[in-house]
Amino acid sequence: MANTLRLYLTCIRNTLDAAMCLQNFPCQEVERHNKPEVELKYVYWDQPGTSAESCRIPYCSFIKKALNVFLTFVIVLYTCMFDCCTCIFIFFFLFIMQVLICRNEAEKCLIEASINSLRISLKVKQADELENILTKKFLRFLSMRAEAFQVLRRKPVQGYDISFLITNYHCEDMQKHKLIDFIVQFMEDIDKEISELKMSMNTRGRLVATEFLKQFM
Amino acid sequence: MACFERASPSLKKILLKIYRAEKPLEIDHHLHEFGSVEYHIQSSVSNPHLAYLSISMPLLSQGDLPSYGISRYTTEMIKGISSDVVEIVEPAKAGYQLTLRLHFAKIPRNKDPVKIITDISAVQATILSSQLKEMLRKVNYDDTHQGMHKPIKLVYHTREPFYVSRQPQKIITVFPMRFKEYSDVIIATAFFQELMDVGISEKWAKAPPCCWSPIPPPELRGEPFEDLSTNGGFVTFDIAPRHIKGKRLDKAVWNLLNFYAYVKYHVKCTKGFIQRRMRKRLDSLVEVLQKPNLEEDEHTKMVQGCRRTRKWVKLPKSKFLKRKCGEFIKKIKRIRFRLKIQGFLRFRQRWLKIPKFSSSMKYTKLN
Repeated sequence: MANTLRLYLTCIRNTLDAAMCLQNFPCQEVERHNKPEVELKYVYWDQPGTSAESCRIPYCSFIKKALNVFLTFVIVLYTCMFDCCTCIFIFFFLFIMQVLICRNEAEKCLIEASINSLRISLKVKQADELENILTKKFLRFLSMRAEAFQVLRRKPVQGYDISFLITNYHCEDMQKHKLIDFIVQFMEDIDKEISELKMSMNTRGRLVATEFLKQFM
Repeated sequence: MACFERASPSLKKILLKIYRAEKPLEIDHHLHEFGSVEYHIQSSVSNPHLAYLSISMPLLSQGDLPSYGISRYTTEMIKGISSDVVEIVEPAKAGYQLTLRLHFAKIPRNKDPVKIITDISAVQATILSSQLKEMLRKVNYDDTHQGMHKPIKLVYHTREPFYVSRQPQKIITVFPMRFKEYSDVIIATAFFQELMDVGISEKWAKAPPCCWSPIPPPELRGEPFEDLSTNGGFVTFDIAPRHIKGKRLDKAVWNLLNFYAYVKYHVKCTKGFIQRRMRKRLDSLVEVLQKPNLEEDEHTKMVQGCRRTRKWVKLPKSKFLKRKCGEFIKKIKRIRFRLKIQGFLRFRQRWLKIPKFSSSMKYTKLN
């Protein structure tokens, strides 16, 4: 494995290890509504990759500013009243932690964490057009069979090739370290598979070309 | 067109069936191949030594000029298969371009009958090849008169025309490549690159040099814009005289006619290969995720096993108490029945009597 790839994967592994502390957390707005918080987009602060249209709370810039000021005030108040940990616990669900790990411009991984869910979006490198169509074909094929993976999202996040959604239920059913291993293994395998596919396609092409030209001799 | 053999396999099979039949067969078959080629085979019980083969197919035409049917040269080529066995019926059956009368009884003993029937099955390839050969001959004649090397446009399938241009030392064949899907373009482009690389290599120096370019080659200068707008570029083959010498001519002509089909078949097979490989890979990827579940299942099974053994050894509390009480009651009953001590009866009735509890649902009748 190339040194840069190892570093990239180690970084993702460590980040996932830190981010994957998920617990059950019912919705604070709607009763009996227990959904992945990372998908609901509770955006009070400006979040990269989210737009006003996609937020559940319709707000204009004025309301946003007012909300920001109010929430800052509330947090300070809570921090004074309780210890820091309690305060973080109370407001943790408001923040969707986003970590972007880039190997280069074409290869990156976005990890979005919330209290009860974790979303991992991957962008796989595509050096040329052949790799591009192979990646698209392969990842579309996998996305269409998402039920086999349990943690795979049917539609990737905009700007990425494939996305995973891990909830607290997945963490309860499967072991945490195994899930992390799966994600890292998946990334390695996708790279390897696309390179192998490209090579075998070229080899097939060469063989077919040889057979065609042989008929003229 | 996925079949690159000159002989049609299904036609060959039927003709061999007629030839090898011990009893005369009544056959009236219609065969359709590649969407545009149609065969009609007839054989009657009344005349078992004769069979009729009619063929309808799109003929090779020069661009906008229509084809004038089967020429004399083509007729000669067909007769050349085996003059004794094959006879051209004039006029051809309605709706068909050519009808052949086949005398299977006249197949010479010194010749292989299977080979002759294979040649008859390749009648479509023979017609096409002879048409192309004739056109190439005409091109040569025109060139010598005009001194120009204007390419001729050959149309076999309406959407897939190709160009042939006669140069002093070679014949240049240009294929404008068009594909429906973007992925097909990419796969085909990769194939053309390989074709170029193989053609350049020393091992295949005798093969016709091949060139692929996204822009039209200079030979096609002046051709209409619609014909030059492609998404797969242009593939050019330089056919030298040695490639069309003697028996090679038929092969070369057939390969050039089928080049489009060859590329499309390769694209289709490659797509299938990718799909197969992806399916295989899916299983191995899922396996990684399924492993922890399997391990957990094994673990839970093991724990459940222990519980069962415990159950067998230990009895539940209620049953244990019932058993104990039952033994105690039995003991009292034994005392009651076996021991007869005078004066002890009153004591027993008062202190050792088991009280009877009346149900709330029942009632006692009062005197």
